[in-house]
Amino acid sequence: MAMGRFLERLGRVYLGVVLAFLYVPILVMAVMSFNQSEFYQLPIRFTTGWYEKLWNNSEILNAAWSSVWIACTTTVIATTLGTAAAIAFFRYEFRGKVILQALLFPPIAIPWLITGTAMLIFFFSIGLGRGAPAVIIGHVALALPYVIVVVTARLRTFDPQLEEAARSLGASSWEVTRSVTLPWIASGIIAGALFAFAVSFDQFVVSYFLAEPGDSTLPVVIYTAIRKGFTPEINAISTIIIVISMSLMLLAARYANFGGER
Amino acid sequence: MSSTLARRDGLRAATMISPAYIWLTVAVFLPLAAMLFFSFLSEAPFGDREWFVTAANYMEFFEKGFYLKLLVRSLTLGLVVTGFCILIGFPCAFVLAKTIKGRWREALFLLVILPFWSNSLVRIFSWAIVLRGNGVIDSVLDLILPFEVSVNLMFSYPAIVIGLVHSYLPYVILTSYLALQAIDDNLIDAARSMGAPRRMILWRIIIPLALPGLIAGAVLIFVPVVGSFMEPRILGGRSGTFFGTVIEDQFVAVFNWPLGAALSFILLGVVLLILAVSSPVLRRAQ
Amino acid sequence: MSINAKWTGCAALATLVLGMGVGAVHADEIRVLNWKGYGTDSDWAVAEFKEKTGHTVVHDYFNSEQEMLTKLRTNPGAYDVVLINSAFTGQALEEGLISPIDTSDISNFADLAPNLGGNPELNVGGKVNGVAWVWGLTSFGVNKDEVSPLPTSIQVLWDDQYTGKVGWRDDALESVQFAALATGQNINDVKDLDAVKSKLETLLPQIKTFWSSENDWNQFFAAGDFLMAPYWSGSAGRSIAKGLPVAFVVPEEGAIGWLDGLSIPATSENREAAREFINYMIDPQFYVKWAESGAPASANAKAAAALPADDFNRATLGDPAVVARVQFMQPVSDETRKTYLELWQELKANAQ
Repeated sequence: MAMGRFLERLGRVYLGVVLAFLYVPILVMAVMSFNQSEFYQLPIRFTTGWYEKLWNNSEILNAAWSSVWIACTTTVIATTLGTAAAIAFFRYEFRGKVILQALLFPPIAIPWLITGTAMLIFFFSIGLGRGAPAVIIGHVALALPYVIVVVTARLRTFDPQLEEAARSLGASSWEVTRSVTLPWIASGIIAGALFAFAVSFDQFVVSYFLAEPGDSTLPVVIYTAIRKGFTPEINAISTIIIVISMSLMLLAARYANFGGER
Repeated sequence: MSSTLARRDGLRAATMISPAYIWLTVAVFLPLAAMLFFSFLSEAPFGDREWFVTAANYMEFFEKGFYLKLLVRSLTLGLVVTGFCILIGFPCAFVLAKTIKGRWREALFLLVILPFWSNSLVRIFSWAIVLRGNGVIDSVLDLILPFEVSVNLMFSYPAIVIGLVHSYLPYVILTSYLALQAIDDNLIDAARSMGAPRRMILWRIIIPLALPGLIAGAVLIFVPVVGSFMEPRILGGRSGTFFGTVIEDQFVAVFNWPLGAALSFILLGVVLLILAVSSPVLRRAQ
Repeated sequence: MSINAKWTGCAALATLVLGMGVGAVHADEIRVLNWKGYGTDSDWAVAEFKEKTGHTVVHDYFNSEQEMLTKLRTNPGAYDVVLINSAFTGQALEEGLISPIDTSDISNFADLAPNLGGNPELNVGGKVNGVAWVWGLTSFGVNKDEVSPLPTSIQVLWDDQYTGKVGWRDDALESVQFAALATGQNINDVKDLDAVKSKLETLLPQIKTFWSSENDWNQFFAAGDFLMAPYWSGSAGRSIAKGLPVAFVVPEEGAIGWLDGLSIPATSENREAAREFINYMIDPQFYVKWAESGAPASANAKAAAALPADDFNRATLGDPAVVARVQFMQPVSDETRKTYLELWQELKANAQ
């Protein structure tokens, strides 16, 4: 038993090390937002000047706001459609299922630059103009495969007999979904939603080609700044976003029971 | 009776699947189909350009040895990164799912995903600051070690691997966690009470049951890493030439969409082939 | 938000005042397609232009010339002014993406340096398809604290002493042109491609890393990753202004000259406002202010003359001996680009 406790402790230490690795660049990003040097030179000389500059930079602030609401909209749509498709894949056998599932990989495998260019040409040729709707259509499409794959992975651990039992007790298809399937895969759906948000929030090619001029998203601002290079203002806005999302997530973890059904 | 049931099932399946797939068709499949068409043209059909249908773009891949060389290099990179992600991520997911209980687990689970919400370019540039000479690692080592060291990992293969592993690690932690969490603790307790050694529990119960999640994570890592171009370019310096960067050049440096598209579809074909060949093996393992 | 509102308020007031004075001022929104942070999108310039004319300026950006052309092709009517490198102006015109500009109401047009304003690439068919705006050199910068005496030959990039201390831009065309200079060839008509290839082959071991942005260049330079690397003159001016120990070298073998022009897309619906904007952009007053923070050289002779004597552009590019060594970049055909790219990719792949 002592061995077990030792291993458990070792496991926690390990988890801590991995978390530290994950947060190295985030910390560096945050620290550099307080560093005077525009060229990210060490050693660090403290300043809050980049935050003051950011406060007056309406371009970055507007872009950050666009990114947030576009990512939220994308997350809701992609998670809903993706979960429905994943459940159908799990529940029903039909011809062409394997092909439909294999079709999820092209959008992931083909570099986004090429997919983005393809979307630009296609949307242009069918007369769908640039703007937020076009951007959202593109983001949802890129997020969908991730949602479907993640939710499907979670469903693989689900016993179909549970659904059958509920059905044999006279529950309708929708009731089965709502009261048996969805609660079981809730953590998978949340994970899928987090993926969808991440995909949209970080997606620059599609927004870059499809957003209305003068109304861009944060990744586009960062990407287009790359030739001249971006200033620590970008670090500052990224730090603010991470701090806000971290607080929201920790609050959510405090008050909602997700990520686990027990 | 059974046929009407099947038909009703088919209808239900269709109503649940079609919204997602209609969306995908309009926004991704049709545009990519257009790209597939371009890949068989001699020129991108714009303005008054003369074009004809040809397989020359695909032939070029075989005629020029260096494309194949870079493709192999990219596939190797994909395997290395996926391997590291699994080795690092799976134990992490296990600790999270099986030894930590209550609110802490949810909080930690979210903390794992959060870095993922920051911008990838900003993340890569932050790694550059960490890895370069006179950078964070170098300075920290100089502080704690009594002798002078010079660490400069920047612009090397390891730098690319570190950057990519960092970017994709949350994928495998996430999907493994979801699968591990679904394993009934009673099953493990029962095996243990019957005297099964730890290693046997791991290989006979935990890994087989967690395999769907592990595989989903591995696929979600391997597939995009093979085509990646951002991380190699910025972190790899001179060793950052991969299949993805060569494709990117066809769109950015020259106006050669047909060749760029052909190379992308070759990449896609090879990736799908690898997945198809490995899926029976993986299914049997399950 | 409140800042925006304040600006809008100011601008509205200014429009009103101007409107009463001048009569009917027609306020439009014009859309400009340019590199980010390349003069036209300076906050003060956009504000000043709005104050003067009432027109609002909105920007969209590109990250490579190919992207600029793609954006023009797929967004008819979306842009009113576009920045095009003179080597691409001909192609844009040929594809019908831009149309000739009536310069009669561009009052500053007459002040353009004749050799720049009259650049043949910008004036195909005897019509002005692009108004010469700024120009500069692609040569290389060295760390003057570490490298002395300052090199005078491009061969220094191949010097054993600096193996692993050279930065480079991962660009096929530029690499070929540098190798052409180093092998004594015309950058616009490379006769001996094999010599270029073997020259580049020996260059690769010299290279520490590739840089892709001005910021990269500054960071790598500041961190000591490289001691010398190809660079743009305008950017070098900015790096020097920021206090980096950069010396911009124009070697005896020559350097690559480029010229950026402002064009009006064929589908623009605000041509008059676009011309007003171009006129403002080539105005000496705008340029001198822009040059304070580091800018490429102006095509306007009066603007160039208005610079302070110690200005980087004036000191470096004002020297006739330097200008005589410059080879100006001419249009490059798609075929040539493909050949160069393939050569460069193969070299890099084999060096892995």
